[in-house]
Amino acid sequence: MSSATSCDALDQRLERYLGRQWGEKVAVRELTRIPGGASRETYRFDAEVGGQVKGMILRRDPVGGLIDTDRQTEFLAYRSFHGIVPVPEPLTLEPEGGALERPFFIMSRIDGGQVPSVMNLDPYGEHAATIGRELFAILGRIARCDPATLPIKHCCAAPTLVECWREALDYWASVIERDERHPQPIAHAAIRRLRRNPPKPAKKISVVHGDYRSGNFMHDGNGKILAVLDWEMAHLGDAVEDLAWCFDPLWNHFDDARVAGTIPEAEAIAIWEHESGLRVDPATLAWWKLFSAVKGCAIWTTSAKEFIADGSDLLLGFTGTYTARRHDRIMADRLTQLVEEGWS
Amino acid sequence: MTPTVTELLNGCILTLMTSPRPEDTGMFAAARIRLTALVNRLVALECADGTAVRVWENAALRALIAEAGPRHGMPPGDAMKITDGDYSLAALDAANARLRSLVMRLHEAAEQARDTEIDRKILKLYCEMARRRELHLAPIKPVA
Repeated sequence: MSSATSCDALDQRLERYLGRQWGEKVAVRELTRIPGGASRETYRFDAEVGGQVKGMILRRDPVGGLIDTDRQTEFLAYRSFHGIVPVPEPLTLEPEGGALERPFFIMSRIDGGQVPSVMNLDPYGEHAATIGRELFAILGRIARCDPATLPIKHCCAAPTLVECWREALDYWASVIERDERHPQPIAHAAIRRLRRNPPKPAKKISVVHGDYRSGNFMHDGNGKILAVLDWEMAHLGDAVEDLAWCFDPLWNHFDDARVAGTIPEAEAIAIWEHESGLRVDPATLAWWKLFSAVKGCAIWTTSAKEFIADGSDLLLGFTGTYTARRHDRIMADRLTQLVEEGWS
Repeated sequence: MTPTVTELLNGCILTLMTSPRPEDTGMFAAARIRLTALVNRLVALECADGTAVRVWENAALRALIAEAGPRHGMPPGDAMKITDGDYSLAALDAANARLRSLVMRLHEAAEQARDTEIDRKILKLYCEMARRRELHLAPIKPVA
């Protein structure tokens, strides 16, 4: 079989690739790119093989990306949690990516769902409370799992309990140092304060989704979560990191009373604690909340840098502007509040 | 620094001028148009208020550094020498970068000296800087 050339259409390359994988002739139909997400290109398609039609999703590395993530980590995260929490079934991973020019993986498609934009007002309507309870119960179940028993252990190193915060902060602080084009005094002040006021050691090492929030799960419109998506920033660490990120005001759909636009924070914590078997220390949560703003600042700093360098992905320009400035304000307010409450 | 209005508009033009690949039509193409509209809105907001926000921020940074700098070995003239040039966004941003670098040095020095008065003043200024820089887009009510 001839190798793919850059002139081949993506659907034809997919047909050849899947045909080799399955040892049968495959027809790819309805290949369509799905909007959203700047770290991977996402496509939906139907694969017709042996008289059967299979709904599938292709996740391919972009030419330039928002976050430098390892697709193997994302693939193994899906593999780790398939059957434990609602996620699509991962099918095949191509880290070299020769068949489609860039690394990619393919997973099963879950149909009939919707994913709101963070710009949406009250996206869950009358089902907000039901979705919120399920959202934080799922997150608690992720936190409860022992990473040593999951496939993700093969690609993610576990930090020590006392080093979780430092590893996370060192990583995102280095991203800001590397990518900032303009001095960011708020971010640097927050980083210094986070270092001087570290949280308590993690209670256990968990799988951290890394981007668990409204906008990264699919629901059926009737109060049921169908799939938790976008595991590209998954790693091992303190599970409170995910909780704090999900509580960030950026994802609350302009509703300060409900986290992720769903339920009050206290209720979300109670559900998470029940499912995870862990307790949330308020001071630790406060640390991870400020950290979340720093992490966001780092992501948007990179998106601005990538956009300025290339200009072809307008989503990077949007997040590097609008989202960056929203997070700057969240970060400044949180930092000031913590200092007023006694942070050194 | 967030992308300039020129960079954002160039991105919009590039997005609209680039012919979509066959697999990029439909939902993705519609989302690109919506995104282009949102970015145009951001550019409009920045053009309306960007100069005023930067002039205010630079003046506030100069005043704070001039007042508090001498307590931490920073001559007041350092900030005063940094001018806003011709008040173009580029000139204001260049001045802003230098002033922000100075206030970061001052803030670190104040923290190390446990100068809580200056620390609090700087944090208060940061909150106001971020508040003024924030760009507000109206939330979208989903179609029922």
